[in-house]
Amino acid sequence: MPPSSPPSARLLKLGILASAVLMLAALGLFALSLNGRDHGDGDVRLVVTAQGCEPRELSVPAGETRFSIVNDSQRAIEWEILDGVMVLEERENIAPGLHQPLTATLAEGDYAMTCGLLSNPHGTLHVTANDDAPAVALSRQDFIAPLAEYKVYLTLQTRRLIEATETLHQAITAGELDTARMAYREARLIDQRLAMATGLYSDLDERLNARADYFAEREQDPEFVGFHRLAQGLFETGSTDGLIPIATQLLEDTRTLGERLRHQAIPPSQLANGSARVLKAWHAHAIDSKTLNAHELLDLQGLTAGAEKIVTLLAPLLERQAPDALEGLQAQLARLQQDLPEKSNIAPGAKRSSAVDRDALLTDTHALADTLDKLDRTLALNG
Amino acid sequence: MSPRALFFAASVFGLMALQTPAQADVDPEALVEPIAEYKLYVLDNLDQFVSHTEKFTQAIEAGDLERAQALYAPTRVYYERIEPIAELFADLDASIDAREDDYEHGVEDPDFTGFHRLEYGLFKEQTTQGFTPYAKQLMTDVNDLESRVQDLTFPPAQVVGGAAALMEEVAATKVSGEEDRYSHTDLWDFQGNVDGSQKIFELFKPLVAEEDPAFVDRVEKNFAAVEDTLAHYRHETNNPESGFVSYEKVSETDRRAFVGPVTVLAEDLATLRGKLGL
Repeated sequence: MPPSSPPSARLLKLGILASAVLMLAALGLFALSLNGRDHGDGDVRLVVTAQGCEPRELSVPAGETRFSIVNDSQRAIEWEILDGVMVLEERENIAPGLHQPLTATLAEGDYAMTCGLLSNPHGTLHVTANDDAPAVALSRQDFIAPLAEYKVYLTLQTRRLIEATETLHQAITAGELDTARMAYREARLIDQRLAMATGLYSDLDERLNARADYFAEREQDPEFVGFHRLAQGLFETGSTDGLIPIATQLLEDTRTLGERLRHQAIPPSQLANGSARVLKAWHAHAIDSKTLNAHELLDLQGLTAGAEKIVTLLAPLLERQAPDALEGLQAQLARLQQDLPEKSNIAPGAKRSSAVDRDALLTDTHALADTLDKLDRTLALNG
Repeated sequence: MSPRALFFAASVFGLMALQTPAQADVDPEALVEPIAEYKLYVLDNLDQFVSHTEKFTQAIEAGDLERAQALYAPTRVYYERIEPIAELFADLDASIDAREDDYEHGVEDPDFTGFHRLEYGLFKEQTTQGFTPYAKQLMTDVNDLESRVQDLTFPPAQVVGGAAALMEEVAATKVSGEEDRYSHTDLWDFQGNVDGSQKIFELFKPLVAEEDPAFVDRVEKNFAAVEDTLAHYRHETNNPESGFVSYEKVSETDRRAFVGPVTVLAEDLATLRGKLGL
């Protein structure tokens, strides 16, 4: 077909039809947008003048609200909804004489509104209980923020672990027993905060954290390395002799841990579940000993700090989903923290552990682990 | 087909067209890593911000006017980069970075503190006399900001939205030169805002690159255009550390030349939240 030949009548017809459909579509869109504007009547209107908000106080039901902010002052303004000092929602750069929409989903409670000039008084936004608002189940999106924050925590803690292990390695190489003991405690405490995440890698977990009991020849087993092997040398034998290769291996393993965790995706269900698991492992070991020694207390200190981070991260979700469960969880955590002796009182080597209420710590740990274990069901997370 | 049905079909079609850009195929879990990386970026910048603020405020307390003037802009840069997060704390944002026109009594307002209060003293009044209390307050506020950000779980929507917010801010209230009206160091602030916006874009780019390469291309070109204009006004074109000429020396034409790419960037980046399903 020569390129200049006229299109067939059939094609033309099709073209006309197609363009008609497109035009109608555009019309439909226009109508919809008009419709949307009409719905603006349902907006909660707020005027910002040179003096402040009008009205000064607003009341809206919990759930989603569309605000329409009118700038009736002479300068560009921003309008913010504040929870305490935190900005929850904001609309910036509203030019004088114009109005801008802002859609916010708010929970019951009292909030403040900024009203133009910083020297203007804040307005008050009352958000009232709303039984009509459907209970919204948690979505996978709700876990993005806590999982990201947990990743930051792991990254920062791993950096510190590597630093502490470097100090430990240096002290052992230099044969400085006291410095090595101090560095050991620092490193071990961080290692235990990370216990849940380290548990994702069986090889590293074994090399870093396995006890002598797990090896065929126990303390004599050549595979027995890591923290417990170092503790045996530093605190029982009381010498740095022969520990250099163990410390070197430990340093290498903590670096590997850091690299792996950097790109590790942690499933949301692991947060509570994993914390429960490591607390239970501690409990299972501790219940066999008549008194808790300084090492066991140090470990529990680290594990509790790790669990606290998880509780903090899940708290906003639990608050929405199951406020009662959150209260119970926080109470159990607080009790465990209260019964734990101060860090300075549990220096391994120092025999101060008699003042510790062993039974209370066992009970507390078990209770917290139990609640954490049930949390995934509460959060409707399975698998 | 009845007109009514046709209208309905057209509306549905229109609705689909409306919805398409907001549809996201991005797995929510894929957002975890870039958000974590962003917090690490913010923490690194805060660390720098604290140490630069220490030197800046020490210069004021020591009465070293010239040094204080020289450190003003290089210190602010870190705040400008992390503004999407720093601004979440309304009280500190006001005491650290508010402008005189945020207050009824302007410069005379007793609540007016922070960088711009110091800017007024250092560059307009040309003195450090009597500014020690403002310097001390600034240091306290910056330390407070650092500890609050460390404890903050970053809200994903605000992080992603921050890329556009930074560029909107440049277009709406910075190109005019009103931000640093006494020091005329506005280009430093621009650079900080652009850096901060670009960082967010770079972190989330892999998640949208496949689906919308044209978008990525456009944003990258506009960032490059803004960078080129900025580089033109550096003391040394290829050395980001060398600093900028006074904003007074930026021609009216070049000021307007910023607005184009910056506005397009703000509009394009504003779609990032939708593309990522936030």
